[in-house]
Amino acid sequence: MLSYIFKRFLIAIPLVFGVLTLTFFIIRLAPGDPAAFFIQPGISPNVAEQIRAQYGLNDPVPVQYVKWLAKVLQGDFGRSFSRAQQPVFDVIASALPITMTIALLTLVANFAFGILIGVISAIRQNTFLDRFLTVTALFFYSMPEFWFALMMIILFALKLPLFPASGLNEIGAEGFGPVEFILDRFWHLVLPVTVLSINGAAGIARYVRGSMLEVIRQDYIRTARAKGLPENIVIFRHALRNALLPVITLMGSSLPFIFSGALFIEVIFAFPGMGRVTVEAIFARDYPLIIANTFISGSLIVLGNLFADVLYAVADPRIKL
Amino acid sequence: MIKRGTKSAVATCCVACFLLIAVLSSCGRHNGGTGQAGSGGKAMDSTLVIAMLGDADYLNPVLGSTVTSGNIIGLVYPSLLQSEFDTTSGLLNYMALEKKLRDVTPGQAKKTPKGALAKRWTMSEDHKSITYILRSDAFWNDGQPVVSGDFKFSYKLYGNPVIASARQQYLAELVGADKGQVDFDKAIETPDDTTLVFRFYKPVPEHLALFHTSLTPLPAHQWKNVKPDEFRHSPINLTPLGAGPYHLKNWKQQQEIVLASSRKSNLPKPGTIPQIIFRVVPDYTVRLAQLQTGAVDVVENIKPEDFTALMRANKQIDVKTVGLRVYDYVGWSNIDQKEYRRSGRVRPHPLFGSARVRLALTQAIDREAIIDGYLKEYGVICNTDVSPSLKWAYNDRITPHAFDPAKATALLKAEGWLPGPDGILQKQGKKFSFVLYTNSGNARRNYASVIIQQNLRSVGIECKLEVEESNVFFENLQQRKLDAWMAGWSIGLEIDPLDVWGSDLKRSRFNFTGYQNPRLDQLCDLAKQKMDPTGARPYWLEYQEILHRDQPITFLYWMKETQGFSKRIEGEELNISGTFYNIDDWRLRPSANVAP
Repeated sequence: MLSYIFKRFLIAIPLVFGVLTLTFFIIRLAPGDPAAFFIQPGISPNVAEQIRAQYGLNDPVPVQYVKWLAKVLQGDFGRSFSRAQQPVFDVIASALPITMTIALLTLVANFAFGILIGVISAIRQNTFLDRFLTVTALFFYSMPEFWFALMMIILFALKLPLFPASGLNEIGAEGFGPVEFILDRFWHLVLPVTVLSINGAAGIARYVRGSMLEVIRQDYIRTARAKGLPENIVIFRHALRNALLPVITLMGSSLPFIFSGALFIEVIFAFPGMGRVTVEAIFARDYPLIIANTFISGSLIVLGNLFADVLYAVADPRIKL
Repeated sequence: MIKRGTKSAVATCCVACFLLIAVLSSCGRHNGGTGQAGSGGKAMDSTLVIAMLGDADYLNPVLGSTVTSGNIIGLVYPSLLQSEFDTTSGLLNYMALEKKLRDVTPGQAKKTPKGALAKRWTMSEDHKSITYILRSDAFWNDGQPVVSGDFKFSYKLYGNPVIASARQQYLAELVGADKGQVDFDKAIETPDDTTLVFRFYKPVPEHLALFHTSLTPLPAHQWKNVKPDEFRHSPINLTPLGAGPYHLKNWKQQQEIVLASSRKSNLPKPGTIPQIIFRVVPDYTVRLAQLQTGAVDVVENIKPEDFTALMRANKQIDVKTVGLRVYDYVGWSNIDQKEYRRSGRVRPHPLFGSARVRLALTQAIDREAIIDGYLKEYGVICNTDVSPSLKWAYNDRITPHAFDPAKATALLKAEGWLPGPDGILQKQGKKFSFVLYTNSGNARRNYASVIIQQNLRSVGIECKLEVEESNVFFENLQQRKLDAWMAGWSIGLEIDPLDVWGSDLKRSRFNFTGYQNPRLDQLCDLAKQKMDPTGARPYWLEYQEILHRDQPITFLYWMKETQGFSKRIEGEELNISGTFYNIDDWRLRPSANVAP
């Protein structure tokens, strides 16, 4: 397996590199100018020129590419244009913990509720409960996240003021004790995590239901029942384990989400996470930050797929890597 | 055995997950800042919370260019002069401790000059130099005195091309600027710590000299060892040293900026509210919700359509307006942009080249309907780009072109535009059909564009609507790729319109229409030469008449910017120079209605 993982890593390097090169050219060829903000009446026309010169944007694109490549090969992804010229990885490092908190909580809730609902739907197939869960899941699955988030805010922050509408902490939270501080943080995370996980769990439930239905019709399940095993052992030990194979793929593909953030939710709930960094970088045409973000999410998608493949082998001994 | 193993593994995973999350959650906690003891409720009682759309880019006056930066810099740094806006005349007044540029109408003067670093100034007879005498009792927060050398040092930074300050235009009249490089040794002299002399290469009107020489200083002793190429990313940017009524207590980037009143400040005094927090809330709906729940006290730019619901939902909210500084317009290419781009030749635009056609377009657009339907009492018909708030220059004899489709049709007919078989006007086989572009994410412009489309259709003009991402829209505008568009301008308090209307299309970067009128250029030049702005009034009156006649664009409406305020704020004075004009004098009334 180790040599397989090693080989996959080797293939990943040119792949990620290709993605970065493509991104480099696409963002530079797209309309918009990182110095556009400085082109307005009352600001000397020299300023935009000076800013462009500082960012090295006056060179022809191929020259910019060679210069960029030389730096990236030394691990230098440059400084952000739009965020006070901080090194891009500093920007990312400050946004990452916030995004990871939301994403990990969301993923745990996603999979826990998704699997539970999926299993219940499958074993109670075609009952009222199954139909109710299916319709509800589809209802939430097809709802746009940003709209759902706004509705939740209107309901639970405005009409019934139970949760805060935005921010990570209460005003003056710096003076709280550690337990109070963390509780306050969790209180602020309830709405966004609920929005994200209801949406996600609904999707996962559909997958689990489908694969569970397939599995419980298999001969070995009938055998397990025939030898007199209790139903919950049949379902959870024999059926669920096999039904979870497709879910593992989903887990792998969720890995980038942990680091890339939920774009709309972070903007709506005013979380300074990776999603907002990405959106704002795109609007500000902050090339180095866009590239660094692409690097992170590109690498993670590759890693996530590899992780899923390895998990397959762990979950199903028939698969040999 | 296996089962137990799996269970304990799952349990371990869950605990590990929880711990990891707890650790991650508290990561951002100790980013500096001395905490304030007490609960959120107590903190709110002495804290004003202002919601803002985006974070400050820099808290450094040389670099800061966002609105938020400007607001905070104004509270943290000292300033050479204080300025106030006289709403009766519309003129900006500058004040030093012992001198004023002009006397403001009684009852209007609300700003104290105590915050000024300058005691007085003297303008030379030839208007080519200005000498300030500074006070000797002003100190930076670290106890060092504020001296004239700080200004000279800062002006060198403002003028340094490597630093690329957005305010280098302010140095354009200093000695040497005419030759491309300000000669700082001659342009700014500091014979002693309290004397500061600026020298210009040409005579400069006094109000302009005051405006351009009162850029915010940086403490030279804090910055002197920072190299220009490191200036933009120096860590000192995160710990600004000021002397104003507030100082920076904590800056959590992209989250909040916490300012605390500077107890020792005498410029003009410590801020009345102990703590001001600027919170980043990017989403408009959430900002509104937070104002409604009392989580924030001030939200800027509230859409008129939300006023009623907002004020009904929370009686503790008030909507306040500032003067007329922003207008929307429909831009018509006066020249054939394609031809101009290709050969540099100026030819009238096939559709909008004639002033009579543009006048017809203005008459065909029901501007009142847009105002009634969207802006209501917060909109005023716009005739030209001289704001009615600038009373000293505003031409009130101009009557707006009324909505009159019949007149518009007649004018178009006189220009040879006659209805074709499909009802669309035609002239020599060419249809009167065009695309009206606007930028995305602006509900007001979307609303207006639909009305404009209907209005024009009823006189036989086909107007298709297209929305572009703001960056793309602006780039297309600059590259003269659009024939018709809807956009807006926010005007400066000094009238200086040559960038927008100047006939030299290469130099006038914002003359997107390509409008050319030598008399207009002449009027702007004549007005600039007047040493007293009110002396230029006749030129500005004629300027407005010309724009009103030629209709290079269709001016739509002026908008009163509307800000939502919690009623627990007292003592606020809003005017055209800004929402936070006198924020250091605001008070907070402790109120049971304020949510903890």
